[in-house]
Amino acid sequence: MTESLKIEWRSDGKLWLSNNGKATAVQITKCFPWSEPDRYISLRDSDEKEVALINNLNDLEQESREAIEKALAEAGFVLEITQIESLKEDFEVRTWEARTAQGKRKFQTKLDDWPQALPGGGLLIRDVAGDLFLIDDPDKLDEISRKLLWAFVA
Amino acid sequence: MLAKRNCTNEELISRYTDQPSEMPRGLRDKIEKQWNNGPVQLYAMADLNASLKLTHTWIALGSEHISIVSDSGRDNGEIKNIELSQIQTVQETPCLSCTNLTLFGEPDEPPLAVLHYTHRQRRAMENIKFIIEQRIKGHTVGFDKEAKEAYSDAMTQPIKEAQASVAANKMAVVWRLMGYLTPYRKRLSFGLVAAAIMTLVSLLPAYLTGYVIDKVIKPFQNGKIDYEAAMYTAWVIIGALALTYILRVFCMWIRLHKMSVLGELVAGDLRRDIYEHLQRLSLSFFSKKQTGSLISRVSSDSDRLWEFIAFGVVEVSLSVIMLLGLGTVLMTMDWQLGLILTLPIPLFLWTVFAHGSRMQRLFISAWRKWSDMTAVLSDTIPGMRVVKAFNQEDREKERFDGRNMSCVAHFNHIHDVWTKFWPILLMGIHIITLSVWAFALPRVFGQGTSLSVGTFVTFLLYMGMYLQPIETIGLMARMMNRATSSAHRIFEVLDTEPEIVDRIEPVRLEPLQGRVTFENVTFAYDGIRQIIRGISFNVMPGEMIGLVGPSGAGKTTITNLIARFYDVTGGKILIDGVNIHNLDTGHFRRQVGMVLQDPYLFHGTILENILYGQPDAGMERVIEAAKTANAHDFILKLPHGYETIIGERGHTLSGGERQRVSIARAVLCNPRILILDEATSSVDTETERNIQQALDRLIAGRTVFAIAHRLSTLRNATRLIVIEDGRITEEGTHSELLSNPDGTYTKLQKMQQELHEAYAV
Repeated sequence: MTESLKIEWRSDGKLWLSNNGKATAVQITKCFPWSEPDRYISLRDSDEKEVALINNLNDLEQESREAIEKALAEAGFVLEITQIESLKEDFEVRTWEARTAQGKRKFQTKLDDWPQALPGGGLLIRDVAGDLFLIDDPDKLDEISRKLLWAFVA
Repeated sequence: MLAKRNCTNEELISRYTDQPSEMPRGLRDKIEKQWNNGPVQLYAMADLNASLKLTHTWIALGSEHISIVSDSGRDNGEIKNIELSQIQTVQETPCLSCTNLTLFGEPDEPPLAVLHYTHRQRRAMENIKFIIEQRIKGHTVGFDKEAKEAYSDAMTQPIKEAQASVAANKMAVVWRLMGYLTPYRKRLSFGLVAAAIMTLVSLLPAYLTGYVIDKVIKPFQNGKIDYEAAMYTAWVIIGALALTYILRVFCMWIRLHKMSVLGELVAGDLRRDIYEHLQRLSLSFFSKKQTGSLISRVSSDSDRLWEFIAFGVVEVSLSVIMLLGLGTVLMTMDWQLGLILTLPIPLFLWTVFAHGSRMQRLFISAWRKWSDMTAVLSDTIPGMRVVKAFNQEDREKERFDGRNMSCVAHFNHIHDVWTKFWPILLMGIHIITLSVWAFALPRVFGQGTSLSVGTFVTFLLYMGMYLQPIETIGLMARMMNRATSSAHRIFEVLDTEPEIVDRIEPVRLEPLQGRVTFENVTFAYDGIRQIIRGISFNVMPGEMIGLVGPSGAGKTTITNLIARFYDVTGGKILIDGVNIHNLDTGHFRRQVGMVLQDPYLFHGTILENILYGQPDAGMERVIEAAKTANAHDFILKLPHGYETIIGERGHTLSGGERQRVSIARAVLCNPRILILDEATSSVDTETERNIQQALDRLIAGRTVFAIAHRLSTLRNATRLIVIEDGRITEEGTHSELLSNPDGTYTKLQKMQQELHEAYAV
């Protein structure tokens, strides 16, 4: 079924889905953002109703796939930590200073909030404002970062 | 009182984030110039660029424009101006850790702007989005906050929720805590002096031992003094030792007693201050904080401070006195041996401190594993029915076992570390002892500078006194950390100012008639998003007003404003023609009764609960009130009648029974203004009738504001006010409103009727 779907970015800046001649402006939501980030993508209209569910991006035509990949990058955006520069305890919170793939960032987590272990071995840290920080592979960090992170991984 | 002030928002932003605490003044001026001096009303930062890298893009909103300054940081960025009238729709797309806000102009045209930002900026950006949307709908929006304040409030809210806004550093907190000792100066000085004497005196026995050896035993063995002379000196020394011990025991008692009592008094003062202050704080404070955290501040935090004051402060100062005393005595007795003993002290202190930090890291990890394990418990035990129904006992057992074993392994690792550390430290001290032996013995035997046996023995005895003060000082960092966080949590509450404060000479309305007037009232919990937008009405004494409308329309907020739990942000509320701001809040609230959906009863007897607002009312009035509330009969069925103890929050009673007790409580206060907020929902029909009967008796002769989901319960209302989206959309009697076939009230009524018929079949 998915072959007949056409997905494209139009000049109005919206992502459009055409299916059997009917076009809808859609937003995308990942069903399993951590276990299956590139599969089971739900396309939803402005009323949050599902218009299509794409189980596998490979079922789509090349152009549609490229269009949706751009949307996926935004929908799955998290800050990716590449280095931890310092980790200090303050009243009730921990302050992290980290370099991320997106730039430097200073953020806080609550003292009793722990990073979440992800299915693929990554770590997900949620700060007090709700921002998400991903450490894809904690073992690949430099030694100082690993040492600072130790208590949260070991 | 160094820390008795809250950190400003600007300080918090620069301390906890890496973004500017306000929009650069130069940039703001430049934007306002481009808008023909129209002021910047709100601003925010979009911290991601189009390729989702972190950046600083300022967004400024004026009355006619919105300006976007890409990658600015300084005030020379390029300003893109968009006229608000061009914006036709706004679309917000939430992503995992960012949000995209797109401003659309004409359909099919490229969007006017696409902004990306992380969740940290969300609140400030939502303020801007809200105002733009209001403008699109054609509403004008008033501003209760300056742009800088709105921005910094939005930025600091998450950090304020997570911790607090007090005290910039730990020493400031400690000094402030010490301020609580001032009233007990005398007691404190006694305790400290006694402790110091005790410490210094404990240096004496070792010294006397050396003295006895050198001045009595040796001369006697060498035949230099006779038995009588030796025994005379010996008795003097025994006497001196006895005095020393007596003095030490006495000082120990003084110190323990004075300091424990002192700690208790200070903790008591803190508890009293914090509880008193909690009672003064406005409701908005309690909606921001978790009950559990407030309770632990009054109880366990103050207890921890007792420990710190009673023992911590003294132990640490004593250890310092002890080390200094030891050092001085040793250096004056024999500087060479003294150096061997004193030089390693800093090294030992550092080792103990480093060990403490290492242990702290290990404990963080242990704490994480522990909470992992207990999470399984708190997850499965209440859900045991589900576990059994799905036959997952074995899997749950495995899950728990895995985490349990991981805990055991980690704790054993911790035990490995500390059990090795202390013996190694002891070994270090033994090495010093051996060095003293190796260095001193040749001198005792006459090689090099001579050393008396007595001095040697004294040194050996002093060495035994080393370890303990080193240990105490090394652990000080941890103790300070614990105590300062407790003090910090307490001071946070103490430093929060109540939002509702009475005028200097407040008005007492006696008697209160019960006329309630709203004049163009606006209200926003956060100062930006208005829940009430320009509501006006005038209610005469004795009228019953039904507030109707969809949930979230602002009905409960109106009643909260009438009871002055919050102050209006715009317009005014008059009670009997007097502005509610000028009233004596306590006196006024006593005349406002509330019956809420989920009534709150306190632990205690039913009698105490009914008497809560009027403790001195007589028994006849209690029975009368209970009868009015249809509660008398069920109360008498309870084992101890009115004196039956109902558990916490009254959980031993059913919902309808609790409600009737709360009505009796309201009846007894005889309030002039009565608020009924969904008083009869969540009970069955039979109970509802009972309660409704009680309410009908209660409302007679009072001004009543009733919110009800079931419109049938409002049949007695003199007037109905329909609230939608913070505004009054319809007003009139039941039949007047029903005469408008397209009205909201008519629709609601129809819907309920259909629902009723559908279920009645």
